Amino acid sequence: MEFLTLNKIDVTYDKKKTVLKGLNLEVKEGELVSLLGPSGCGKTTTLRVIAGFIEPSGGEFILDGRNYTKVPVHKRNFGIVFQSYALFPHLNVYDNVAFGLKLQKLKKAEIKRKVEDMLEICGLSEFADRFPGQMSGGQRQRVALARAMVIQPKLLLLDEPLSNLDAKLRINMRVEIKRLQKKFGITMIFVTHDQEECFSISDKVAVMNNGLIEQYDTPENIYLKPKTEFVARFIGFNNFIPLKKQSGGIFITERKELIQVEQETKLEEGLGTIRPDDILLADETVSENVMNATVGVRTFLGRSYQYEVDSTAGKLVVNAPIGKVYEPGDRVRVQLPKNKIIIVRKSM
Amino acid sequence: MKKQLPYLLLMPGSILLIVFLILPLIKVLFPTIYEGTFTVKNYREFFQDAYFMKILIRTLKIAVLCTVISMFLGVPTAYFISRCNKKKRGLLLALTIFPLLTNSVIRSFAWINILGRNGIVNTLLMNAGIIEKPLTLLYTEFSILVGSIYLFLPLMIITVAGTMENIENDLMEAAESLGASRLSAFIKIVLPMSIPGIIVGNILVFTGTLTAYTTPQLLGGNSNLVLATFIYQRAMSLGDWTGAGVVAAVMIAATMVVLRIFNALAAKIDERGEKYA
Ligand SMILES: Nc1ncnc2c1ncn2[C@@H]1O[C@H](COP(=O)(O)OP(=O)(O)OP(=O)(O)O)[C@@H](O)[C@H]1O
Ligand SMILES: [Mg+2]
Repeated sequence: MEFLTLNKIDVTYDKKKTVLKGLNLEVKEGELVSLLGPSGCGKTTTLRVIAGFIEPSGGEFILDGRNYTKVPVHKRNFGIVFQSYALFPHLNVYDNVAFGLKLQKLKKAEIKRKVEDMLEICGLSEFADRFPGQMSGGQRQRVALARAMVIQPKLLLLDEPLSNLDAKLRINMRVEIKRLQKKFGITMIFVTHDQEECFSISDKVAVMNNGLIEQYDTPENIYLKPKTEFVARFIGFNNFIPLKKQSGGIFITERKELIQVEQETKLEEGLGTIRPDDILLADETVSENVMNATVGVRTFLGRSYQYEVDSTAGKLVVNAPIGKVYEPGDRVRVQLPKNKIIIVRKSM
Repeated sequence: MKKQLPYLLLMPGSILLIVFLILPLIKVLFPTIYEGTFTVKNYREFFQDAYFMKILIRTLKIAVLCTVISMFLGVPTAYFISRCNKKKRGLLLALTIFPLLTNSVIRSFAWINILGRNGIVNTLLMNAGIIEKPLTLLYTEFSILVGSIYLFLPLMIITVAGTMENIENDLMEAAESLGASRLSAFIKIVLPMSIPGIIVGNILVFTGTLTAYTTPQLLGGNSNLVLATFIYQRAMSLGDWTGAGVVAAVMIAATMVVLRIFNALAAKIDERGEKYA
């Protein structure tokens, strides 16, 4: 039984602009799930549907066996961390964190205990009397987290909570978020468009494109076994060769070259994809998946050279060690190791 | 040379203020405290005069009522306007300002038509059989109050709406997510954050009503004098410029006191202790 289910959610803005088209998502209790995708793909919209700020035009949202689709925001008891933090500027840190508890009409002593505990956990005890305007970005971020978590929410929603912080603080904060998530066992939905952040923190990742989830999987599987061209491109594959299945592990290119692929796939037709790092510039002795190619542009990357080569299977990007340097026009042989090729579905 | 530039730039404005505002003010006020020697005689006489006190209290009463009522009507309206989308907001603000575009004499005449013995209100009430004889609505404190609210409410609305517009929607959503209904989010977030605007609005309406001349003149008649109409009567009809000066001084003092009160209030409400006016 899933804890959270989004079932065929449709969202249309201004009666004509469809942003989510039958979006499905399932999350287990205590999981941290990231929504990853390019700008405008509908991550925030999905999160706002869950939060209750947007009522979907179709579909339903079930949490813990209860239909939340039409429950008003203030009755949901979900914690939300906004990209802008949205701290109340006229209240000090203590009162910001106590805001939700006061509305729950708890006893004063209990509110005090809970707020102080939470400030302690978030390392904010010394700032209790400060106003948001007197704090740094990282501190505000922690206040926003404390405020959302102190109400013991059923679900914690975070919309790019780290995007306003510098790189180093970002890494600290994401470790912090993960620690708090494990400590309280809160189910979290985390929106980001930073891959590294997303992979390091998530139990599962939903890669979104154009209002749809293209792949929903563990970070490892997304990274190693992308299912679609879009996902592969998004995580750094940039060689795509149209292939058709011939038999077993043999595929055929448009120029009738045979390519061996180790990975098993049900696709009869698709794109063979491989990272630039995994393509080898081969010598005469190798024969598996080897193609003739002409060197084009060369770029220095520090650890390696990147070549654009024109192969019989089309243009390829290859990263090669800096030991040997090739010049534009040189004829080379490139090898696509069969265990590194992944067959993905072509995206529109 | 560089350091002198700002002062040079201030010159034209300062000269204008000194020549056309400060000097005449001194010329009006000085005779009220100096008659050969310095004296407070004029002021003592005025404060002992029951007629004058009645006018002072009436003026303050109308100004306070007008301010409070404008606040209660204006704040929710401003909130409504500030939460509309951009297009609608522009339209509503334009409608709010619309009455300010006509001359205040004309606006007051409109109220004469509405409140007069044979005005719209009385005609409606009599036709509906609710009253038998026309009510005396015009040339009362009530008619001055109504006219003043009509005149100054837009000021309250646009100042408060201006502050409320700057309150990020995120804050409202954050409050809602923490369990606040729309109403309690308004009371706990929007209202305290709008204090600067509300205070400025109150100051504008209060000083405006306190010093208004046209509306009380046209809607109050001769039996309902307020400070401004009283000054005019003293100076123009009776030629008593010293008396008029005394009233003017009292009016200025009242305005200052009220500004101080509002400031103290603002500091008390907002612990961060910013000054608004
Ligand atoms: N209030 C709105 N009215 C109309 N269109 C909107 C509105 N909010 C978002 N959109 C549109 O919906 C689409 C999805 O927006 P959304 O904010 O969900 O994207 P996102 O994935 O969060 O992007 P980003 O990474 O830039 O935050 C975008 O094309 C956007 O222009
Ligand atoms: Mg977004």
